[in-house]
Amino acid sequence: MSKSSLSDTGATMVAPGAPTHQRARRRSKRLKAWFPYLLVAPAVLYLMLITLYPGVYAVIQSFHQVKFGPWQPVGLANYARLFQDHQFWGAIWNTLVIGSFSLVLQCVLALAVAFYAYRDPWVKGWRIIFLVPMLFMPSAVAFIYKLSFLDARVFADLLMRVGLIDGNIAYQSSIWMSRGILILADVWQWTPFLFIIFVAALQGQDEEVEEAARLDGASWYAIFWNISLPMMKPVIAVALILRAIDITTMFTNVFIITKGGPAFGTETISYFIYRTGFKFFDFGYASSASVVMLVITVIVAQLVVKRAFISARS
Amino acid sequence: MEFRGKLSRRTFLRNSTATGIAIAGTTWGTPLLAASNLPDPQSVLDDISISKYVRKDYQKLYGMSDDKPIWDNSKDWIRTVDWEAVRSELSGTTVRFAVGAADAESAAEGLVPFEKLSGIKVELVPIPDDSFYDKALAEFISGNASFDALQFFSPWLGDFAAPGFLHELDGFADKWKLPLDDFYDTYRMNYGFFNGKMYGIPFDCDVQMVHVRKGYMEKLLGGEVDRVNSIPTYDELIRVSRELNKVEPGVSGIGLMAAPGFWSTYTWEHVSAQAGMMLFNENWEPIFNGDAGMKGLEIILELSKNANEGFAGAGWPENRAAWLGGQVATNISWQDSGTQAMRPDQSQIVDDFVTIYEPRIAGGRFAPPNIAGSTSCVAASAQNAEGAFLMLAFLTTGSIMAMNEANANGVAPGYKSVLQNPNLQAVSQPAKVWADSLEHAWCSPRLPGAFPIEQAIGNEINRAVVGQITAKEALDNAATAVKAIMASNGFYQGKDPVDYAEAAPGLYVGEGKALPF
Amino acid sequence: MASQRKNSRGESLLLRYAILGAWALFCLAPVLWFLSIGLRPRTEIITPQPIYWPSFSLDAWHMIWEDWPMAKYLRNSVAAIFGSVIIDLVLAIPAAYSLARYTYRGRDDIGFYILSTRMMAPAIVAIPIFFLFRNVGLLDTVWALMLVYAAINLSFVTWIIRSYMLDIPKELEDAARTDGAGDLRILWEIIIPAILPGIITASVIAMIFAINEFLFTLLIASTPKAYTMSVALANFTGGSDGLIYNAIALVAFLAFVPVFLVVVAIQKHLSRGLTMGAVKG
Repeated sequence: MSKSSLSDTGATMVAPGAPTHQRARRRSKRLKAWFPYLLVAPAVLYLMLITLYPGVYAVIQSFHQVKFGPWQPVGLANYARLFQDHQFWGAIWNTLVIGSFSLVLQCVLALAVAFYAYRDPWVKGWRIIFLVPMLFMPSAVAFIYKLSFLDARVFADLLMRVGLIDGNIAYQSSIWMSRGILILADVWQWTPFLFIIFVAALQGQDEEVEEAARLDGASWYAIFWNISLPMMKPVIAVALILRAIDITTMFTNVFIITKGGPAFGTETISYFIYRTGFKFFDFGYASSASVVMLVITVIVAQLVVKRAFISARS
Repeated sequence: MEFRGKLSRRTFLRNSTATGIAIAGTTWGTPLLAASNLPDPQSVLDDISISKYVRKDYQKLYGMSDDKPIWDNSKDWIRTVDWEAVRSELSGTTVRFAVGAADAESAAEGLVPFEKLSGIKVELVPIPDDSFYDKALAEFISGNASFDALQFFSPWLGDFAAPGFLHELDGFADKWKLPLDDFYDTYRMNYGFFNGKMYGIPFDCDVQMVHVRKGYMEKLLGGEVDRVNSIPTYDELIRVSRELNKVEPGVSGIGLMAAPGFWSTYTWEHVSAQAGMMLFNENWEPIFNGDAGMKGLEIILELSKNANEGFAGAGWPENRAAWLGGQVATNISWQDSGTQAMRPDQSQIVDDFVTIYEPRIAGGRFAPPNIAGSTSCVAASAQNAEGAFLMLAFLTTGSIMAMNEANANGVAPGYKSVLQNPNLQAVSQPAKVWADSLEHAWCSPRLPGAFPIEQAIGNEINRAVVGQITAKEALDNAATAVKAIMASNGFYQGKDPVDYAEAAPGLYVGEGKALPF
Repeated sequence: MASQRKNSRGESLLLRYAILGAWALFCLAPVLWFLSIGLRPRTEIITPQPIYWPSFSLDAWHMIWEDWPMAKYLRNSVAAIFGSVIIDLVLAIPAAYSLARYTYRGRDDIGFYILSTRMMAPAIVAIPIFFLFRNVGLLDTVWALMLVYAAINLSFVTWIIRSYMLDIPKELEDAARTDGAGDLRILWEIIIPAILPGIITASVIAMIFAINEFLFTLLIASTPKAYTMSVALANFTGGSDGLIYNAIALVAFLAFVPVFLVVVAIQKHLSRGLTMGAVKG
């Protein structure tokens, strides 16, 4: 901060007159130009330490075989192995499948619930109730689902009681059912995130427009589809992107509920990296997977996220 | 079973402190007692007793008392070694002991009696449990480990012993008369010796067994359960589990651990061993995808039709919960499922279960599997190797291991004199069958790379179990993967890191022995 | 209430309340059931058929305080979380001010860079961060957690605060400037008080994310020395005690209650905070 306060005094010192002042002004001008950079610099440097440094580190490590001792350079061997590793491709596929189902479900449900809630006189009360799942620690949520589906089998028991099924369900013998549990847990916990945002966006819309359409005889559904929804597009985009980021990095639920099984059918990218790195101590190989993910992340960030955030702001 | 989590040793040590073991005065971190005012060894030994170490509620439950010892004093190393000789040679020295960090505080208290007996000061080097292997290996490689002694998951023994990171213990064992012959062969050979030299003192001596629910079985049989004849074969277990699958809503015929990774491997090894399966031939080439291995996997696939719903995702914690909660009528698991089920604070099935002798397979052999325990070793770079050895001998001594079993904390004794003790058998339901079984135990070799090998096999078996691939594909894939892992650990390149002839006798110790029943 | 007037027309109230009621049930039922797990004895959790009316027991309560260093985990959590929020505010307020109030070359790129760090999967940076902390001896300390939480939340906090700053009328500052106040004084005396709700919102959201963080904590905190509540939960599942669900449930609720109360207090700002300022609630 000392640097910035220096430039602060420089800025107030600007005064008319003599040649000495000329120099002072030039200096202060230079400082003034630097001032915004100085303000933002600490945050940027800090983030670089935690993103850029690891990025570079991962790239270098990915060209080595790392097993505690000195690193052995192995060229592109880790990448060659990675691209032939069906578990790696499987992890990408699983992440996409689980993520897209989860995201679509959350979005649809949140929109539907928000549509019914935002004009309700008790919307504040609903909002508090609907928030509850989001405020649990994710590890606790994972245990709720592990217990109620797998260990204590409450869900199947309830279905049996109403006569829908006649025996317990072997979720973990089926890839799709195991994915289903992960999806459900994610939907349960994070639909509220989208709901809160959508309700706010709907409440913030111009009531006059709705009212006018209403007077023309349009139904609420028509208004929602034709007026509200198009206006919400930028907000939906931002909200979905934030969710998508978290879903594609899904780890906790996999770690606690399925451990990636059965048959690697629920192993996400994060879990793949964790397993190869921290369970098999194959850090060079895990780093090569990290680097591939990093590249994908940067591309997606540039193409999609930037646009969405800019359009939401304007 | 420390590999299953972080609490096993902790639990024991916590129990011992909770019941107020008389160790007041010295705590972790305080300076060593001066050699001159060390207490009389006998008074310290007298306090290592059932009344001080075993949980009070269990003492009461089973009528345990110091008058009914659950071990044999003449085989209990701490009561046979000459502590005066130890003191005269090593008093005043220090031993650094790498311990899972979660256990550090309680381990310190558990080791106070050793400090009093020997005059050796123990310094604990806490190592985060999650990175124990990684950290230990890194320290070994540095050539200057920060610890003298450590305890670890036994499959790692090959990784640590082959490159010469561990200290040979034969000399110490002779000098201080470690009762090596009291260990069951399977533990002594596999957890103790590597390439013909002694590197470890077996610590947590696990075995897998078959447990059945008494009530259900009696209903099915119309009479008492016979530990030998009620389920004599795996075919019969398949039939019984099919019947019991319908016995009561919410109860499945059999509990299996078939989660990806080593859980599946252990279950498959357990069954296949009865079919006569060996993992490798004398050239260390994988042969487990032969007939015996296939037979084992086919039995598992057959059993899985009657298994609890979660079996394909079950590791030990899940299987344990299902068994103790009464969700399964029979169970393939470790011996501690047969001890912990007796304890009313954990179990719904107290008094309603029996641990039986291993079912047989036609054309196979009686080979109960010794699977996945832990061992304790001294670092080659140890500054006080002898002191480290003595400390490990103290921790693994018969009386303390027997009381671990009485506390049902999952740390299993591997001593004949303990498991055959009638008083111990009274507080540990499986002990009798367990003791008989160990004379015939099967074990996988402790090779460098054993851990990834177990993972690779189990991942393929899990795929077969959930119907992704056939049994044959699973084992063939696993054999290919194992061969690659072996090659990357130095096998097949002229001089194998493990001499097959040295390892072979430990892999099945039942050869030519008469059945115990 | 304009909205109430609209209700009376058209749309079926029955359908609305059926849907909202069903969703409320969906949200709350698992929570209530989990609460009942925390208050029952261990032997009534996993059974052949689930027990819906268990006997009441405080076993878990005694266990978490007597057998486990839960107070320590709680202390670790609180220290790491508050520390990280302070770091975030110190770094984010000037950064946000710079992004919101100045025009300079590269500003948008810098802003986007800050935003994009939010997208970095923890797993990608986990390995290098693990070695970084190991090499500087911070592994398994609360300090390391503090630094990591701060990094994770910095982008969020910066963008939220920036969004609130953009709302402040320029005139306010101009008036102060003509009075001769320097940029930093304006920031300190005018901007910060004006955006206090934004700062609080950002802090609360940062706290929630920090409490929830799992992967880094799992890797960095490998012993109870630095365990936080979130990871301590996952460690109730190991060892020869097996899965201790009633303790897990109770700890989950202990962590939930304060978070819930704080969030209810800032409800109005939540949507804006969650979208990093992109939606004005």
